[in-house]
Amino acid sequence: MIYINNLHASIGEKEILRGINLEVKAGEVHAIMGPNGSGKSTLSAVLAGNENYIITEGSVDYIGEDLLELSTEERARKGIFLAFQYPIEIPGVSNMNFLRTAINETREAKGEEPMAAKEFLARVKEKSALVELDASLLKRYVNEGFSGGEKKRNEIFQMAMLDPKLAILDETDSGLDIDALKIVSHGVNKLKSKDNATIVITHYQRLLDHIVPDFVHVLYKGRIVKSGGKELALELEEKGYDWIKEEVNA
Amino acid sequence: MTTIIANNKVSEFVSSIANENLPCWEKFSESRKKAKEILTQLDFPTTRNEYWKYSRVTKIASENYHFKNLSEEKIDLDEVRIPNLETYEIVFINGFISLVNSNLPSSDELEIVAFSDSKSHDYDSFFSKNLDSITNIFSALNTAYFTDGVIIKAKGEFAKPIHIIHYSTGENIISQPRNMFVSTTNSSLTILKSSINNNTNKFFQNSVNEFFLEKNSKLNFYVIQDYKKGMKVMTTNVVNQERDSVFSAYNYTIKGDWIRNNTNVFVNGKNCETNLFGAYQPTGSEHIDNHTIVDHLAAHCESNEHYKGTIADKATGVFNGKVFVRKDSQKINAFQSNNNVLLSDEATMNSKPELEIYADDVKCSHGSTSGQLDDEAVFYLQSRGLSKKSATALLIGAFLGEVVEKIEIPELKEKVLELYGME
Repeated sequence: MIYINNLHASIGEKEILRGINLEVKAGEVHAIMGPNGSGKSTLSAVLAGNENYIITEGSVDYIGEDLLELSTEERARKGIFLAFQYPIEIPGVSNMNFLRTAINETREAKGEEPMAAKEFLARVKEKSALVELDASLLKRYVNEGFSGGEKKRNEIFQMAMLDPKLAILDETDSGLDIDALKIVSHGVNKLKSKDNATIVITHYQRLLDHIVPDFVHVLYKGRIVKSGGKELALELEEKGYDWIKEEVNA
Repeated sequence: MTTIIANNKVSEFVSSIANENLPCWEKFSESRKKAKEILTQLDFPTTRNEYWKYSRVTKIASENYHFKNLSEEKIDLDEVRIPNLETYEIVFINGFISLVNSNLPSSDELEIVAFSDSKSHDYDSFFSKNLDSITNIFSALNTAYFTDGVIIKAKGEFAKPIHIIHYSTGENIISQPRNMFVSTTNSSLTILKSSINNNTNKFFQNSVNEFFLEKNSKLNFYVIQDYKKGMKVMTTNVVNQERDSVFSAYNYTIKGDWIRNNTNVFVNGKNCETNLFGAYQPTGSEHIDNHTIVDHLAAHCESNEHYKGTIADKATGVFNGKVFVRKDSQKINAFQSNNNVLLSDEATMNSKPELEIYADDVKCSHGSTSGQLDDEAVFYLQSRGLSKKSATALLIGAFLGEVVEKIEIPELKEKVLELYGME
């Protein structure tokens, strides 16, 4: 589905990604772990098309297309979804209005008719139930005054509504208590299919108890320095990141 | 003895319009005479004058204008009508009342008298009260040469809005309408003002509206400014509030080459409420200026003021809001804020909120912000599939929407949202 080859990215003068290689196939769940400052969030931002980062080298192939040539909205319309670590509050824009616009612009780009109001509402009802998002939050302004947990559930709700091919969850577990973590993970697991893929970015192993990865990668100093199965996450949980750092620095 | 030498520019300006045959109504002849005298002593303001610092009037001053009475022509009003909202309509063409296009109420609760009507009115003596025709040349100009207007006096709870529609057409035309709105004790009145202009070039509209709110009355004044090319617009609103009254003005500027709005509120009685809301979104090389004054002359009152704007391209926005709290006006709550979003590097916003407080037991705040659209929010919306254009539009709509939401008439709110492209 996505093939990242020797990707380098900088912000300002600072190089953050220094040659990422990663392939994710349909039906797979990949976890990307790593210490703070290793470039995890940068990788997700770059894949979503954040223009604050400059790509200096490398390529990304996404279902046969040059991803780096696509604008942020084109990527979204072709099925890339980024669940933000810090979802943005947008006063004055209602959740519903925002989602309807997002869905209909995506459909329009594909040459499809706008979604009928009835279908839209039915889908909202179904998908909000998935993450136990209260109906009153749907009518409110996007994320405004939402608790940390509500914001994250709103991200997964949006993901469910937009039905992406490749979902990138950027530290979705941060700021969640254990109940919220279960709800969010349940939502993500329900959305999993053999046709889509998920990249889970996390600092801690605990999320991976709920969203079980097929592969675990360790990102350090802008490179993937170690890959393995789900047992790698457990090893990291137990031993921390120091042994990886030592291995790399050695 | 001092000799007054009339400034060439003003005398030239005045002489070009003074030749016109305006009816001279006996009851206002004294006011007009005085205003004409003042005009011989005034000069057009320059940008050295603080009140006119950001709005140049040189182009208006150097033009020759004349009046053009087309009040018998039938015109199409559909574009400014509010779908599903019934209103009465008073139509002005180039500042002259057009009865053939108007739809006036016949109700004991509402009295409408044209200035040109010879019979006297109990509010005649209030004419020009608190209107600064001493130093403000445009107010003096209107008083000296206003074309016509009405006194509207509500005597009950008058729910159906009175829609004042100004139709402008022609080249080098000046239009000087003048109205007085009175809500008598315990009454309520809603005025809606719209404009249509067709084939205008070097058209100058200089209007004055005077408001008198008697005890415990309520007056809502909604203004939609949506002008095509070729017009410069100066509006002056003077509001006089007696005790327990509520005045709310809502000024929505959609388009206009050059607009200057002056709204001055004198809160004379206790326990009053004053609300001033406005939104503007100049683009291209448009220039939109809102100047307001709220003068708290009595205690126990509240005023809320909120103006918001987005400025695009090479456009300019101006906001100046002054709040006075006089010495014995204790227990005043006065809030004022002005927020702007600059959408281009070449856009300009001049914002100046001012507070002058002479009382010691008051709660007042004011603030002004001018910034850019939040890039993070734009990215967030784009990451959900919205184009940059619609992400921007959604954010602008959300920003300006806050003051559009203040509209108390749902049908009108719908129309204003549509005019701003928010629906």
